[in-house]
Formats: sequence, C-alpha cells, structure tokens
Amino acid sequence: MSRDLYKRRIPLLPIKHLMITGNPMKIYSTNDIVDAVIIGTGAGGAPLLSRLAGSGLKVVALEAGKHWNPRMDFATDEHSQSKLFWMDERLSAGGDALAFGNNNSGIGVGGSTLHFTAYVPRAHPDDFHINTEFGVGEDWPLSFADLEPYYEEVENFIGVSGPAEYAWGAKRKNRYPFAALPLNGAAQLMQRGCESMGIPTSAAPNAALSAPYFQEGYGMRPACTNRGYCQAGCNNGAKSSTDVTFIPLAIKYGAEIRTESFVTGFEKDLSGKITAVIYHANGEERRQKCNNVFLSAGAIETPRLLLMNELANSSGQVGKNFMTHTGMQVWGQFEEDIRPYKGIPGSLISEHYHRVRDADFAGGFLLQSIGVMPVTFATQVARGRKIWGQALKECVSQYNHTAGINILGDCLPHSENFIELADEKDQRGLPKPRIHFTNGTNEKRLTAYAEKLMKEIWSNAGAKDIWSFNRNPHLIGTCRMGNDPARSVVDKNGRSHEIPNLFIADNSVFPSSLSVNPALTIMAVSLRTADKFLELKNN
Amino acid sequence: MTRYPENTIIDLFGGEMMTESTKNVLEERLSVPEKQIPDFFSPPDFRILVAVSNRLLPQDGARKIDLAGMLDSSLASKTGNGWRYDLMPPDEDSFRRGMNGIEETSNALFNASFLSLPETRQDEILLAIQEGHPAGATWNELPASLFFEELLVALTELYYAHPFGREEIGDLSVADKPGWKHIGLNQLELREPRSL
Repeated sequence: MSRDLYKRRIPLLPIKHLMITGNPMKIYSTNDIVDAVIIGTGAGGAPLLSRLAGSGLKVVALEAGKHWNPRMDFATDEHSQSKLFWMDERLSAGGDALAFGNNNSGIGVGGSTLHFTAYVPRAHPDDFHINTEFGVGEDWPLSFADLEPYYEEVENFIGVSGPAEYAWGAKRKNRYPFAALPLNGAAQLMQRGCESMGIPTSAAPNAALSAPYFQEGYGMRPACTNRGYCQAGCNNGAKSSTDVTFIPLAIKYGAEIRTESFVTGFEKDLSGKITAVIYHANGEERRQKCNNVFLSAGAIETPRLLLMNELANSSGQVGKNFMTHTGMQVWGQFEEDIRPYKGIPGSLISEHYHRVRDADFAGGFLLQSIGVMPVTFATQVARGRKIWGQALKECVSQYNHTAGINILGDCLPHSENFIELADEKDQRGLPKPRIHFTNGTNEKRLTAYAEKLMKEIWSNAGAKDIWSFNRNPHLIGTCRMGNDPARSVVDKNGRSHEIPNLFIADNSVFPSSLSVNPALTIMAVSLRTADKFLELKNN
Repeated sequence: MTRYPENTIIDLFGGEMMTESTKNVLEERLSVPEKQIPDFFSPPDFRILVAVSNRLLPQDGARKIDLAGMLDSSLASKTGNGWRYDLMPPDEDSFRRGMNGIEETSNALFNASFLSLPETRQDEILLAIQEGHPAGATWNELPASLFFEELLVALTELYYAHPFGREEIGDLSVADKPGWKHIGLNQLELREPRSL
C-alpha cells in the first residue's frame, strides 16, 4: 500500500486532520488472564504487540513512561527533551565507561525509537555468522534469509525513505517505499571527501517520511520538515517511531497500553511458569494475570529484571556478552555555512568498509555523516577535547561551520563486559545496574583504522581543526539467543530455555552486534518472534 | 570567534516561527531570576561554584546566564542525569565535596581562598584538578579529573541550553515552526541570522 501512496503523492492535509486518530483503547482487568503481557513499547515490544493483538489475542503492554503527544509536548530543545531518556541512575564501570542518560535507553510509549536517529540499514548476510567467517564473536542461530521478509515488512509498514538502488548487502527484492530524504550540509561534505578518494556513498535509508503517508491506526503522517531534532523527539510524526506506527495499530487491534507502570517481578506456579506480572503504578503494587510474558525492556533493564528475580539464568548467561558498537566520530570546521540543526542528522552512508581486505580486525563498519544539535555538540567538545574557558567557547562558537562523520562498526563480546546488580539501591529501592565496558583489541584496531580514514576524508573535504571523539553507542547482548542452553538465554525464537512462557524480544537477544544500527533488526526479530509464538500456540 | 546578533531568539517569541511548546520552554528558562540563596549548596560552597563557573564558561556581556543557580536547582531537585561513573560517589556528594576540594587545593597551593585569587591563579587550580593530581585531602577519595569533567559538562549543558547561549553560536533551531527547505551548504533562509 505504501508504494502506491508514494506514487500518488497525496497532498498535505491541514494540521488538525493529522492528529492521532484515537481509536478507543480496550481495557482489561488485572484479574483477566490475558494471553500475553509485553514489558516495554519500543522497537522490541511494539511490533510483536501489534502482531499478537492483530491475531486476536488479549495483550497488555506495560510501559514505565508516559504516552506523549509530540505536537503539544515536544520542544525543539535538548534539555527539556531529556524526558525521553531513561534517567534511573546506572553505574558505569570499565576502561571505557559508557555515558548513559541522554545517550541511549528511552522511556515513554515508543521507547528508544522516540529519540533514535532513524538510520535503518539492514544487516548483511555475513553479519549473522561472524564467528564462521573470522573465528571470533558468536554466530546467530538465525540467518539473513530468516529475517529478510521481516525487514521488508517493517520498512514498508513504518515508511523508510531510501535511495532507488542500494549498493551494499544482499540485493533488495523491492525498492525502499519512499524516495530518499534530501542531503544536508554534513552529507554534502562527506560526499565531497569520499568522492575525492574514490569511496562510494549513497543517500541513507532513514525511518522518516519523504512524503506524507496514511498510517493504519494512526492517520496521516506528514513528510519530514528537516527540523533536525530526531534525537530529541520528532514533533510531527514524520519519524517512524513506534508511537506513530506499531503502537496505534496495536491499539486498533485491541491491545491495552498501560503507562507509568514499572515492572518489578513475577508470580510463578509450581512448574515454574509465570502466572502474573507484578508492577508498580500510581503508588501501589499491582499484578496482571497472564499466560505468557514478553520482555522488551532493552539490553539493561531486561537482564536487570531477570537478575533481580533470579529467573531464566541457570546458564549464568543473563547480563553477560554485553556489547555496544564502535562509534568514533570525527569533527571538523569548514568555510561553508552548514547549520548542523537542519535535515535528518544521518543523511549519507557508505558501507564500503563493511569488509576491509587485509584488515587486522574482524568485521567492519559503515560510515555516516552527522548533523548535530547544539547542546550535544557543546558537551562533546567539553568532554572530548577537554578544553574550557575561552577555548571551549571559541570552539562551540563555530557550531554553524561544524560537521561530523562517524562509524558504526562491530564490537565483539568479551568476558569482562557485562551487567550486574550493585548493592546500591535506586529511588524505588531496587538494586542499580552496574555496567562494565572496555573496548577490546578488535574494537581498538577497527577504530584506529577508521579514525585515520575519517580524518583523511574530512581533510579532503576541506575541514580544519579536525578532532575525534570516541564513543560506543547502542546497548546489545546480555540475554543472547542460541541453540545451546548452556551458552545462551533464549532459543532462536526468543523463548527462554528454562521458562516455557517467557520470551525476550529486544536488543538483548543479539548474539553479535552486527555492523549496522540495531533498530530495524530489533523490529524484524520482534515480528519473527511473534510469528513463531503464534505458530507454537496454534499447533 | 563567530558572532551572531543579540536578541535573534528573543525577537522570535512574538512571531509565528516558533512552536508553542518550544516558546514555553525557552520563556520559562529566561524568566528564572538569578539565584541569591542556594537550595542545595551551602552559601560558601555556592560562592565557589559561582567563581568556578565564571572561569569554565566566562561571560563578559551584560546578559548573564545563572549557571551556578541552575546547577544548584538541578541538584536540589535530584533530577539526575541517568548515570554516573562507578568510581564516583553519588552526584550530591561529589559536587559538595568537590567545592570543598577546590578550596583545599587553593589553600595548599596559594595559602588563600579560591575566591580571593586572581583569575590566572584560579585557572591553575582548575587545571590541576582537571589533570588529576591536585593538592588536598578531598582528592584522595574523589577522582579529581572525573569530578572536573562532570562539572564542566553539567555547566556546558546549562549554558548552551539557554537562549543566550544558543544565540551566541547562531543556533536558530528554535525557529521550528515552518521547517527548513534550504538545508544544503551555504543555503540560508531569511530567518537565519548571518554572522556579524
């Protein structure tokens, strides 16, 4: 359907017609034994929620945060939009301690998709067997072919804008449903730098609309207005976060979303099956009876919940195999006026280095242009360049002439990178999670190669005052899927090896990081998990 | 240093180019009066914070962003920022002890309060803390360079979230109502400020 819409280019409707169409939401009693409780409404929870509701099941989603109305509630302001980020304190340990807060996990209906950059390349077929290829890391029990139909379905349903032909990875069976978004200044500069070195580039696939689109269950979503604040929440529904895509569809199909409901535990019967989910809402403890549970709280809260309840962990693998991505950024200043607040932040891509001949590292990386919001830029200058006073102000005053590129590359699991419960308690009285992360040799080699390359690209593009900022984005692993119950937490269908009615669908099940941004794959795996669950249930 | 015209953002408030939600947030931030009596810090610690803020993000114009006051409010409200280095004590402890540490280092190096020192001396103290080996018993327990990094980042965030800070760098993203059509290199729209 989306393809037809794209061809017809329906005209923009006045804003009053674009409001959430507001299907009445079904409400269950906590004493109803619902078919499934889904914990979390982001990229992991929302797709399967809509699938299960669509097949007629009684489903309730428990979401820790609020259900925002972006038109009214979202400002073009990073500081106030920190309400979209998970702010319960995490303790960050290890040689490359990660910054959390305004950096990764989300809260609110939509989860992290509320603030994701919407960069949605597919993983490559070889990403799923990195161990077979390089002898390090972990293979997936799934192949690209298992996920391909789901990639296609997600792209068409949520509305992905991308180039007519995509140069890398498995050949696409169909084009992206929407034409690519326009290139902003940073993208043009990356194009210029890469061209001079013979590195091919392409408009990137982005989960934001280049033309209006009628979203089932939601209504009209307008095209992107190039406001540039994707990472602080889209205010018009152009970005394909789950609150404007899978969630309204799920509500239309009869799912209930319970907001400000924080899950703390589970009730089990004598056989060990879960019979109810315990959560806090409105200052009181509640229990929702259910036949099945899907955990989609992300790669930190999902294992934290299992560890707190000593569940599904006889393998000892819960919280282990924690990964991020290698994500070094290189910044520079240019003569040209760039206005980094305009356009979708990552509008250009190159996957030319998905595999590097004669490399001294396993895996590879993609290159991405980056526009940046002012506070994010200023704080990165402060943290990364370690300058202050007049020097800091002078560097930040070049904001309008600043552009960046970054990589998004492989990160292997290491035994020293994991999540555990600290003795220190949070405001709810629950143990805070402590996250250990240190880049290993492979990550360091890959990053060193990429840093040299990016600095050369930026120099060729005309940048002055080039500097790099090393960071590790995304939270991956901690409850990995696998065929061997001794080395994994769930099977390839997302089902716990130990508790037959417990499933996990989020970035924690990834056995390897993949060399691309995770959101699209999380959504694809989520739909597959739902379908496998329905097959199981109906047989 | 690129400079942009003053009041570029303030002038948008009466017009049609800013969404209500953005306007509300910015107006609220502008309307907060400069804090005289701290809610979180003790008055002596607060005076040190004011002096440190002036060195980390110096402000020479007539318009001032009350960085110390805003940080005090944020600590008093226990908002938190979602994480901390495992090596660091809770934020409240860290900031309180850090102010004490600055005074200790000042006394150890110059036998005087931080407040009474000239700017160059104050900068020497801050640099010693940033580099991680300042004099003073506080720093045996509180990792000095991590404390410095967290303080600097917190103040930087407050500074550039403020309309004055945004104006200073020519950030017109707050003119968010019509969207942007000219987004390529050197493509400016009429409402975007030109560098002075």
